[in-house]
Amino acid sequence: MTIVDTRSETELPQTSGPQPSQAQLVVSELTPSTDLAGILSSSHHQVIGRLYVLCALGLSGLGLGLGLLMNLEKVDLDAGLGIFGNTNELFQVFALYRTTLIMCGLVPLLLGLATAVIPKQLRTVTVAYPRAAAAAFWTWLIGAITHIVATFSYGGLGSLQAGAAREQSVELTLLSLGVVALGLLVGSGVILATLITQRPAGMDLLQMPAFSWSMMVATTVWLFSLPVLLANLVISWVDMRGATALRFGTADAPFEHVAWAFDVPQVYAWALPLLGIVAEVLISAHRSRPKLFEPMVFIVGAFGFLSFGAWAQSFFDSAEPSALDAHVVSNEVVFVVFALGIAGVVLAFGIWLAFNVVSAEQRPIISPQFGLAVLSGALLTAAVTVGVLRVAGSALGVLREADSNLWPGFFDAMDDLAGSSLVTGMMNLVVLAGLLAAVAGIFHWAPRLLGRRLNASLGFLAVVMLGGGAMLYGFTDVLGGFFDQPDRFFVVGSFAVANLDAVDALGFVEALNVIGLVGVVAVLGGLALVVLNVVMSLVSPADLDVADDPSVVDDGDGLTADMSVDGQER
Amino acid sequence: MADMVVGTSMAASLPRQRTLLVGTVLATAGTLMYFVGLFGVYLRERAEALGRSGDWIPSGADIQLAQPTLAAWTMMMSVVTMQWVVYSVARNDRTHAIIAAGVTAMFGVSVIITTSFQYTQMGLVADESLAATLIYTISASHLAMITVALVFLGIMVFRALAGNHISHQTDGFVAASVFWYAVVVVYVVIWTAIFVLK
Repeated sequence: MTIVDTRSETELPQTSGPQPSQAQLVVSELTPSTDLAGILSSSHHQVIGRLYVLCALGLSGLGLGLGLLMNLEKVDLDAGLGIFGNTNELFQVFALYRTTLIMCGLVPLLLGLATAVIPKQLRTVTVAYPRAAAAAFWTWLIGAITHIVATFSYGGLGSLQAGAAREQSVELTLLSLGVVALGLLVGSGVILATLITQRPAGMDLLQMPAFSWSMMVATTVWLFSLPVLLANLVISWVDMRGATALRFGTADAPFEHVAWAFDVPQVYAWALPLLGIVAEVLISAHRSRPKLFEPMVFIVGAFGFLSFGAWAQSFFDSAEPSALDAHVVSNEVVFVVFALGIAGVVLAFGIWLAFNVVSAEQRPIISPQFGLAVLSGALLTAAVTVGVLRVAGSALGVLREADSNLWPGFFDAMDDLAGSSLVTGMMNLVVLAGLLAAVAGIFHWAPRLLGRRLNASLGFLAVVMLGGGAMLYGFTDVLGGFFDQPDRFFVVGSFAVANLDAVDALGFVEALNVIGLVGVVAVLGGLALVVLNVVMSLVSPADLDVADDPSVVDDGDGLTADMSVDGQER
Repeated sequence: MADMVVGTSMAASLPRQRTLLVGTVLATAGTLMYFVGLFGVYLRERAEALGRSGDWIPSGADIQLAQPTLAAWTMMMSVVTMQWVVYSVARNDRTHAIIAAGVTAMFGVSVIITTSFQYTQMGLVADESLAATLIYTISASHLAMITVALVFLGIMVFRALAGNHISHQTDGFVAASVFWYAVVVVYVVIWTAIFVLK
């Protein structure tokens, strides 16, 4: 017997009037829906990309709002301003700030951009698994909303004191963060599968556009690190489900267990695609094509390798380390080498970019994306420099082993930096660099993502606010770290810094925190302008075709500026 | 000389194949990293406990090696039968493919049953020790992985039943086998790290 999986023509319903051609049917399937039901059920890569971008921008704003609240509390380090009911709430927001900003903001924003743009860069009609991409988006969104709601329901990733948080809410927080990680994991897998399987014949991995290559490296690192995060969450959740939590579900352990995801080197991995965005935006602003592409490919690959940080789980640091502190992650040689290596890689990337810009021999087209890309690169450079300071104490510890009396003041200061607000400042710089690059990407690929260009005037205003705000917000915590402002500026039962006497120039540090507050307000304002700009373009009719797309410079041979090489001699 | 040709519409329209296989390899890599995370925590905590007090498995528990060894050998035999499935599918041999898939599935189900039986015999209470919490987390995660592998294999068999040329489904069966081999590898590590080393 023959089993057929399609109905015969005689079984098909007959309709009167002209029948749509096969080509028309294909076009209708590949055209993004515009009605609400169509949008919500769509598996069109452009629609999913837009949804990711809008939701992630909104949640990034929420994350920055939490940062604003914490900075308000830090304006008075003596006693706090009483924004939060108690220090457990402050700790929960401290953890939520990190998860929201990275897992619900930066990473999905970059994934959304990739979902919308990469199929067009590869000249394929869609992503490898369109329905999986849609499932990944909705899984992530539901998880993200549940995570935030659960934290505000006396949940969060544990509490400073055992029993201070509602246990069911903490379990839900863990579970929902796991769902977020799962959604991001599936989304990363879809992008990676697209890059591997959907490239046009003749384009090998080393010939992909810079953004596609950076997404390939980034999603690979995410694919290897998100499951480890998931494993951490599952263990904490299972431990909490028992009658009495034994280790991973006790007090603040759930947060400490996943804290590696928000510290060096892993924090760099979340922002990795910014390298590709910055390269594409800056080079196309000079109306040029990438030259010496292979070094860039290896630089981005090295950045990915060095930013994989699932191994650096300081939760397992020995409580009683040996004389050489060998069981403390931040004192391990590889930890220091990775942080220093990243700095070298970013320096090499800067040199490569400078070579391309100089050899273009043209003045750049000044646009919002150009400004954002420059600022993003500057912030990343600052972040890796701060990252070197973060591990400087450990790196210089080797010298101290040889002579314990060598420059004691200097070495102590370097050691102190590892536990200071410099750590949060570094994370802020990396995340803000990633956000600025993502916004630059939205402006750069707006015709592909949204169907028309974004408003340039609003864009320039957003650049000023985002750039200025990011500088103020990012650097104040770093500077505060040099004056011994602790990273955890709260202790059990008190908003005051644990040891106020240890903070040098308390008044100056508080003034820095006020400046940081201004910075985060400016970033929030800039983000609101970007959202407004995107929404305005979405409600307006599309007015561009690919020929008007500034990111697509078709020079007659079918190649575009997005292509990594120019098809000539290499 | 130019070493790449891109941009022609014909070349650009040709998609690369083996999407299912690539997707499965990526999913398998993610799953393996999940277990790497679990084993990393398990071995770290075990080393810490042994260094501190010399005890890891609670004294009241009785973890025998018989059931895990039986399950490990069953899993290893399933590698052969799974390869038999792939071999038969590639040669369009529907009968042998279905028999081999059935035997493979039976091996998988028997490992689930063996593990469940072992749970009743171990005397390990889940929330009374860190070792128990971690052992149950890892073991239950592996049971979930076997279930996913069985469902994957079942879907591929179902698709094979519905077509004339099952060799057209070779990629799908190879993908299912890749995930299955990962299930076996993970169990071998469980057997070694948890039950042999204790």
